[in-house]
Amino acid sequence: MSLQPLLLLFFALCAGGAAAALFFDDRRILPLIGWLGSIASLTMLALGALGIAGRSLSVELWSLPQLGVLTLCIDSLSGLFLCVSALVFLPVSLYSVGYLRHYLGLFSMRSLCACYFGLLSSVVLVLTAADATSFLVSWELMSILGYLLVNYQRRGAEDAGPGYMMLTIGEAGFVAVILAFLVLARSSNDMSFAGLRVAGLSLAIPARWAVFILSFFDFGVKAGLVPFNRWLSKAHPVAPANVSAFLSGALLNLGVYGIARFNLDLAPVTTAGPGLIVLVIGTISALVGILYANRENDMKTMLAESSIENMGIVTAGLGAGMVFYSLHAPSLAGIAFIAAFYHMTNHSVYKSLLFFGAGSVDAAMGTRDMDRLGGLIKFLPWTAAFFLVGALSISALPPFNGFVSEWLTLQTLLQSAALQSAGVKVVFALCGAVLALTAALAVTCFVKVYAMSFLGMSRSNGHQHNGPVHGSMKIAMGFSAALCLLLGILPTYVIPVLDRPVSTLVQTRTTDVLVPAFFRASREHGPLPPAFVSEFHDLGAQVGHRILPGPGLVVLHRGGPANPVVFAMSTSYMMVVLALLLGAAFLFVYWWAARRMSRVWKPVWAGGLRPLLPELTYTATGFSNPVRVTFSAIFHPTEVEDSSETVAQHFRMAIRRTVEEVHVLDRIFYRPIHVGVTKVAAGLARMHHGRLNAYVAYVLLSLLAVLLLGRYL
Amino acid sequence: MLSLAETAAQAERNWPGQVQGWVDRRRPVLELTCNAVGALPQVARWLVSDLDQRLAGLIVDEHKDEWEVRYLFFLQHQQGWTHLIVRPPLQKSTLPSITPETHAADWHEREIEDMFGITFEGHPLLGDFVLHDDLWQEAVAPMRRAFDPRAALEERKPDLEWRPRRIVEGPGAFVMPVGPVFSGATESVHFLLETVGEDVIRAFPRLFYKFRGIEKIAEGKSIDDCLLLAERFAATTAFAHAWAFCQAVEAVCRVRVPRRAQLLRILIAELERFRHHVGVIHEICESTSLAVAASQAAVLEEELLRTCGALTGHRYLFGLAIPGGVSQDLADSACLHAIEDCRRILDQLLELDQMLRYSSSFLDRIEGVGIVPPQQAQEFGLVGPIARASGVAGDLRKAQPYSGYDQFSFEVPVENEGDGFARLRILIAEAAQAVSIMNQVPKMLEAGKVSEPFKPQAGAALGWAEAPRGAAFHWLRLNPEGLVRRFRLITPSFVNWHGFHLAAENFAFQDFPIILATFGLSVAENDR
Amino acid sequence: MQIRQWVLRGLQTGIKTTRYPGAEEQAPGVSPGIPPSLSKVNEDQVARLVEICPTDAIRFENGQLLVDRRRCVHCFRCSRDSVGRLGWEAGYEWAQVAEGAKSPAWPTGFQKSLYIRVVDAGDCGACLAEVKQLNNPYYNMHRLGFFLTPTPRNADILLVVGPVTDQMRKPLEETYEAMPTPKIVMAVGACALSGGVFGPSIFSGAGVASLLPVDIEVPGAPPPPLAILHALLVAAGRKPPVTRVAVPVRQVQSEKFA
Repeated sequence: MSLQPLLLLFFALCAGGAAAALFFDDRRILPLIGWLGSIASLTMLALGALGIAGRSLSVELWSLPQLGVLTLCIDSLSGLFLCVSALVFLPVSLYSVGYLRHYLGLFSMRSLCACYFGLLSSVVLVLTAADATSFLVSWELMSILGYLLVNYQRRGAEDAGPGYMMLTIGEAGFVAVILAFLVLARSSNDMSFAGLRVAGLSLAIPARWAVFILSFFDFGVKAGLVPFNRWLSKAHPVAPANVSAFLSGALLNLGVYGIARFNLDLAPVTTAGPGLIVLVIGTISALVGILYANRENDMKTMLAESSIENMGIVTAGLGAGMVFYSLHAPSLAGIAFIAAFYHMTNHSVYKSLLFFGAGSVDAAMGTRDMDRLGGLIKFLPWTAAFFLVGALSISALPPFNGFVSEWLTLQTLLQSAALQSAGVKVVFALCGAVLALTAALAVTCFVKVYAMSFLGMSRSNGHQHNGPVHGSMKIAMGFSAALCLLLGILPTYVIPVLDRPVSTLVQTRTTDVLVPAFFRASREHGPLPPAFVSEFHDLGAQVGHRILPGPGLVVLHRGGPANPVVFAMSTSYMMVVLALLLGAAFLFVYWWAARRMSRVWKPVWAGGLRPLLPELTYTATGFSNPVRVTFSAIFHPTEVEDSSETVAQHFRMAIRRTVEEVHVLDRIFYRPIHVGVTKVAAGLARMHHGRLNAYVAYVLLSLLAVLLLGRYL
Repeated sequence: MLSLAETAAQAERNWPGQVQGWVDRRRPVLELTCNAVGALPQVARWLVSDLDQRLAGLIVDEHKDEWEVRYLFFLQHQQGWTHLIVRPPLQKSTLPSITPETHAADWHEREIEDMFGITFEGHPLLGDFVLHDDLWQEAVAPMRRAFDPRAALEERKPDLEWRPRRIVEGPGAFVMPVGPVFSGATESVHFLLETVGEDVIRAFPRLFYKFRGIEKIAEGKSIDDCLLLAERFAATTAFAHAWAFCQAVEAVCRVRVPRRAQLLRILIAELERFRHHVGVIHEICESTSLAVAASQAAVLEEELLRTCGALTGHRYLFGLAIPGGVSQDLADSACLHAIEDCRRILDQLLELDQMLRYSSSFLDRIEGVGIVPPQQAQEFGLVGPIARASGVAGDLRKAQPYSGYDQFSFEVPVENEGDGFARLRILIAEAAQAVSIMNQVPKMLEAGKVSEPFKPQAGAALGWAEAPRGAAFHWLRLNPEGLVRRFRLITPSFVNWHGFHLAAENFAFQDFPIILATFGLSVAENDR
Repeated sequence: MQIRQWVLRGLQTGIKTTRYPGAEEQAPGVSPGIPPSLSKVNEDQVARLVEICPTDAIRFENGQLLVDRRRCVHCFRCSRDSVGRLGWEAGYEWAQVAEGAKSPAWPTGFQKSLYIRVVDAGDCGACLAEVKQLNNPYYNMHRLGFFLTPTPRNADILLVVGPVTDQMRKPLEETYEAMPTPKIVMAVGACALSGGVFGPSIFSGAGVASLLPVDIEVPGAPPPPLAILHALLVAAGRKPPVTRVAVPVRQVQSEKFA
């Protein structure tokens, strides 16, 4: 099937959706968003799938003077990102139908619809742009539309702050990426990606570094990496839940796309330096993100910080891959990139699921503060169930998808033993340790969210329950949850798919290295040695190959001579065993035991205290206090108020204790810059004292300076 | 240091017409009768801060037309008692509270309010003390003579909406409830620990789950039956309380206790003190999970219990103290054998102490933890080893000697840090002093009778003893038939639980059981 | 340095554990003894004994002196009185099965190890202290498979001490309700069996039987650790209980507070 008609269909749908906003009223727009959005996403998915499958497309649009020909092109890398974005936009479109009902009458649906379809098309444009100009134009379009959607529910000028911050820092990055393109295309006039690739081959080292740093700045901002990610945790709480879902699920990935495109395609890395920087920054982002996620009581802010953590892990994987690639270990690089892209896919799916859950809770209860929720599993059973799937996935627990990608990422970092350079190995080891720490902190964080919001006693007494959750929201959540499970238990089918774009980047096929085809080998005793086959005979190869398509069910890697370590994992088998165990337990309890024993429901044991009141149970702040105390060097809390109201010297009537914390990035990075810039500005302001004579003198001095410069250059 | 007569004169000068003093040189007791209740807080404050007296407690009695409210003070370093008495008419049941100036009266006034219905104006926190609001309504006043239990039970109105009072305001603050049924085998007490997650910001113990109404049950009983009540309400220090009660009876009925009985009483009391302190040391080691030390201390405790059992027939020394002496004579050889056992056990205890002082993991958990500042120990009126660990020196055996204690030479150890380690050191030092007193007994023992018969008379008197946990006071009033008309118990645990929160606050949760163990308090002794 | 010292110290102390139930424990001071349930006494003793007992535990019927051990508070007045002179029995095996409780067919599965939830319902401290002594090296109930547990959810035995004060009624009920069946309720001490010297009154109950169905009764004030151990062995079916002497329930003495 040809890609061109699909592309046209996609843009037609988006245009139709945006135009329909003008003609339909608010009420009817919702199903429109749902239907058109879903079909457009399916089209995007088809485009992406075909792109990965190897069909390529190149469409030339207009030819602009001085800026070259605007081209759109789909290759396997774009195809992958198109698929992932589609997997997010599809449930978002469905979810919006139910979720936006709460906004009817309060805000304009038309502008939302128009912006939504505009954003959809701008994402596709970014991903398919094949020359610098169209890339930059669509990037800017995407930023502006993102800003508009984030600021959708602002009530006044003061609410616009977070979105404005996002836009501003995005624009700063935009300037950087323009410069990056310019440096890359220094001598040639050809701004298309093909031309840039050619230019990239002959770049000098300083220019290479300049391109890397400038592009990494912009894409780091977009992906939410330290130290430029303060906008993310501020933008998410003010945006509606469906906007947050695709902000985290699709827009952050564009940063990853940019890093991959620049450093692996246009100007491939030749030294280990850039890779190490990417790796380290990714690791630090992961740590800072999850630490602050532990501290948050607002569900959406917490999910935003967690997005920073996950993007950090993805970036770390990319960085590791870049290092391997530059040190001529292409198969290891391939594994690293597969791990990074797998994690990015997983993150998109489970983060959007989690945001859907947070949005449902917000719509039903009117609050997202964990300290005021509790016991929601009774009111919102489906949301609770799907949120649990999301929480298990993000905590990297088998058999869900988070487990597979985190496992792969950590294994990748261990592969540094195959390299020669000791410095690189040390950095890899440290980053691996920190990433393991973040995995543990992620579990703490999500246990807290789930337990405080859905389990336990209700702190809100069931008030403000705004009716049941709309069916479309449940369908959207169910879709994402099912996807989490599938991506988790079928890694051996996902990896070959991911390998297509990766193999174009590293010029080596990694599938055979990661997913040995022992089903096929068992059939043919083909390329694998018989000893190997007999070892894994008991893993069901002799049965599996008759029933199941595909290479095998185990993700397996045998190291090379420098690092002869085998690592293996199979969530597919884990799922089978889990299902058998759970099924057996279920049968045992409900068939055998239930007949012989009676079940009685008793209230929870509270030391003989009746009744147990909600204020006597743990709060979210209390639960995460140990993390705060352990990492207090990073959090650096300062006590603002510690006062008590006392009567008659010894009777305390009230004790007040509030603690203030300044974000570590603000403390280390932004505040010093702010202070420095203010000082410099204050210094410079001394020049503006209003005396005309001085200004004339300035003019004279500038003239002299220009003349001197012209003389000597 | 004023004498009692000088104190009386000074008081009459400061509050002319409002206060009258009368000194009973025999006991020696100064009775200051306050005619105008308005002067009450100032007189109390003057006694405590200017004359360095300590408030023991309040004793309330209901007569036909008037209340008799007696504030009991004693001197810390010389013999003498001051009773500050007011007699308001029965209809007027309001008194000014002395708590704002003398904080040691806090819990005494709360208990009187719950039990008698007397309101103390100016006390910020009356109610929900002895009778819990989720079981009883306010103003039940069960100690009144006209109290009808059947009617009270029928009209009982529990407050179903009762919630614990929270004072911590801050994001994420919550209350962590502990008990009343908790841990392996602990006494029933409910703690409400307010926290934001790591530190206990406020610790509030909710006591009186074990309230048995001893003072009410005792009314109308014979001396023998009341002796059982006095002995059994806090049985881990049974002998000390029985002894205090016997001294009260002996004071009312003017009985001279035979010399041999006095010495045997001292021997038994010090044996009980030794055993009690070893028990608390065992609890401390247990709470810090130092298993070998806990086992060692448990071995010593059981050996002491067996020594008590072999010497007197009962492991907890029940049935030994009777008014007039002791109920059975103990052979000299048996006493020597018991003292030898105690010497051996003390040696092992001191070895254990040496080993504990070198266990840094153990010291980490009790040193600097659970600090009761000396200033507040004084203001809250704490007594016993806990107070002595916070620099409040004071021991009834020295200040108000009884039963011949002034003929024994012993020290009263005092420490100043007020933390758990200081309390441990005090316990060990006091255990050593107890054995040293026991060693001095055989030399003084002579043959003779061990009890003196007597006839019950009407009258009222105070009996006291330095129980292992601190100063215990028993006030007894007998009617002309020799039956108990009013029995008032002021126990050291009641006074010390008042100050428990000072130690427990601002330390982590994990330190809480350890602080509880280092205090070694008894809930039964507090709850009566 | 310290760890080695502690280990050596422990080894030096040796084995202190009693051989009971393998052999009788003879050491002095392990038990105060208890009056015999039935005995023959002289006429002059009878009146004196009945009068002197403060809790009405002693009665004279059909030419025999009956002692309701559940009411005996170990005041020793009957044994030390010059006229009464009631001889006490040494020993410590006093646990009996309560009237109406199922025995000897205790629930199956209780023979091996038992988890005990101890509830203090107003006890003076002595019974609780004796229960705590069961964990010390001299008695070491762990070797027999008995453990204390802080949660009633996995407890087999509810061991109650104290006369059940008014304010502990609800927590005790809650604990009983929170325990899954099958469960055994053990009332330990004179207070738990009859209210002791404190009850019954408006504030203090007449023992555990007024609130919960009691299975095993352990008299004594307090019963020494060996007596409680015997009771636990009875619950585990490893030792026979003492035959109950039928002593009809007595009118309470202090009616004005009932």
